[in-house]
Amino acid sequence: MKDPEDKRTILQDVELKPKATIVWGTALVLLVLPFIISAPLATEILIWGIFGLGFNLLLGYTGVLSFGHAAYFGLGAYSAGLALRYWKASLWTSLLIAVAAAVLLACFIGALAIKRRGVYFAMISLAFGQMLYFLALSPLKHITRGEDGLTHIPVINLFSISLNKPIPLYYFVFIITIGMLYLTWRILQSPFGKLLQAFRENEERAKACGFNTTLVKFFSLVISAFYAGLAGALNTIYLGYVPLTTLFWLTSGTMVMMTILGGKGTFSGPLIGVGVFLFLQNTISVFTPRWEIFVGAIFVLIILLFPAGIVGTIRDKYSTHKMKKLRREAGFPAARSE
Amino acid sequence: MYLRTEKISKHFEGLKAVDQVDFSLREGHLKSIIGPNGAGKTTLFNLMAGVYPPTSGKVFYKEKEITHLSLNQISQLGITKTYQITHIFPSLTVFENVRVAAQSRQTSFNFWRSTCSLQEVNRKALEILEQVELIGKRDWLASTLSHGERRYLEIGIALATHPQVLLLDEPTAGMSCAETNLCAELILKLNKTLRLSIVLVEHDMSVVMGISDEVLVLNEGRTLAEGTPKEVSDNEEVQRVYLGER
Repeated sequence: MKDPEDKRTILQDVELKPKATIVWGTALVLLVLPFIISAPLATEILIWGIFGLGFNLLLGYTGVLSFGHAAYFGLGAYSAGLALRYWKASLWTSLLIAVAAAVLLACFIGALAIKRRGVYFAMISLAFGQMLYFLALSPLKHITRGEDGLTHIPVINLFSISLNKPIPLYYFVFIITIGMLYLTWRILQSPFGKLLQAFRENEERAKACGFNTTLVKFFSLVISAFYAGLAGALNTIYLGYVPLTTLFWLTSGTMVMMTILGGKGTFSGPLIGVGVFLFLQNTISVFTPRWEIFVGAIFVLIILLFPAGIVGTIRDKYSTHKMKKLRREAGFPAARSE
Repeated sequence: MYLRTEKISKHFEGLKAVDQVDFSLREGHLKSIIGPNGAGKTTLFNLMAGVYPPTSGKVFYKEKEITHLSLNQISQLGITKTYQITHIFPSLTVFENVRVAAQSRQTSFNFWRSTCSLQEVNRKALEILEQVELIGKRDWLASTLSHGERRYLEIGIALATHPQVLLLDEPTAGMSCAETNLCAELILKLNKTLRLSIVLVEHDMSVVMGISDEVLVLNEGRTLAEGTPKEVSDNEEVQRVYLGER
């Protein structure tokens, strides 16, 4: 047992350390990714990774399941596409418009549905997502080009470098991803980030502490939509067109799957989940058109081996190890489960 | 009166859980609510905390009506409750549990600043952990604490919200005799040293009679008796309905 006189020192020693190593480690891997796998696949991973980072704030850290995140992703994609095609907007303006559109939609859906809990919120968000899909499919076909998707999006240059080429596009998306990773890290270390986790753990208790939990959920949804809108816009730049499927519920479902695969509620989990999913999809689809069956089977296998997702399970194992060490250091007997 | 109710009632589909109860708590006092199972103790407690609205009647805090305020609004005014079944944040560390509660009176919607830099909040959280004697386990996950320690953490979370009135719902439930005595000492310390006004719902009569300034006895949702511990324990009706059957 440590000397009680030592209390203050111990407290300073174990003051929450920002997990900078994880952030910088992730950044380093991403820096060389297009040389390990193909640049287009690496770019796709980053774009979906940004989407996943935001989605994870809502699902993983706040504990709110949205089944309609395709709405924000798709709206971001279409807003950027429309701005680029019809208004000849600049790169930054189109990104700004996409993010603003997604955030406004989240404010609207949030104002209507945020008080619903659990599966009810998931269903309402799904309904809104599908509503947008059918709007783009038919009533707004003259603008969105319906099933064909929005094409003829001009090639974009950044400082006279064409983003039509894989490597410059990758590093452009990479810089934005690093920015979003940093933003996510700051949010998670902030009072609001801690509040999100408290809300996920015990909403009733958070309320009894004096927090306006409805507002917590609302902000989490809006921030998450911000990420999705940005990812949608980047996807438009990457593909050079906007497929209608960006608004389809399957996009939301895929994102749920990717996040769970990587480990919801973990910092790098969504990126890992996205990476594994897209890598498997790209690799297996070369050999068979029925790649979904194999990806599905591998998904089941991974979840059986890593019940809390890949990163989540590793974190839990580390956590148990750390607790054992703390118990030993403090002179307590090992817990029964250990 | 610091906290009081005026003919407050709560009916659940015909069941009168609380019926026309007048409750009052003086500043700095410790008042216990006792009664048999189903007497309406926790319901009365929850009505004062804003968990649900009353069917009729009013709640006043410092003579300001707070009847229809929500749980979080009432907490912000300085009335904080603990739960009969432990409500903590299990996947957060012991320190984070208390720190999150402490930040509720600061800027919780700050998205950028690191919590490590909130020195006042962190200092307060550490102080509270010392008060509830969990300082040695500050880095433990809350889910790994024993039952008694979780009850202490529950009190710590409540204290971190800077309450003026603390509503404690069976804080010693499930504790051993030794833990119960320590918990009673802690409650008394909070009441006498920190001058916190406390409402205590408790089944353990040795705790109630040992530390309360006043006791309210409920039976079938109505007030049966009220007074000092001695007056209540001498009351024949209370002995017949509650104390006698123990």
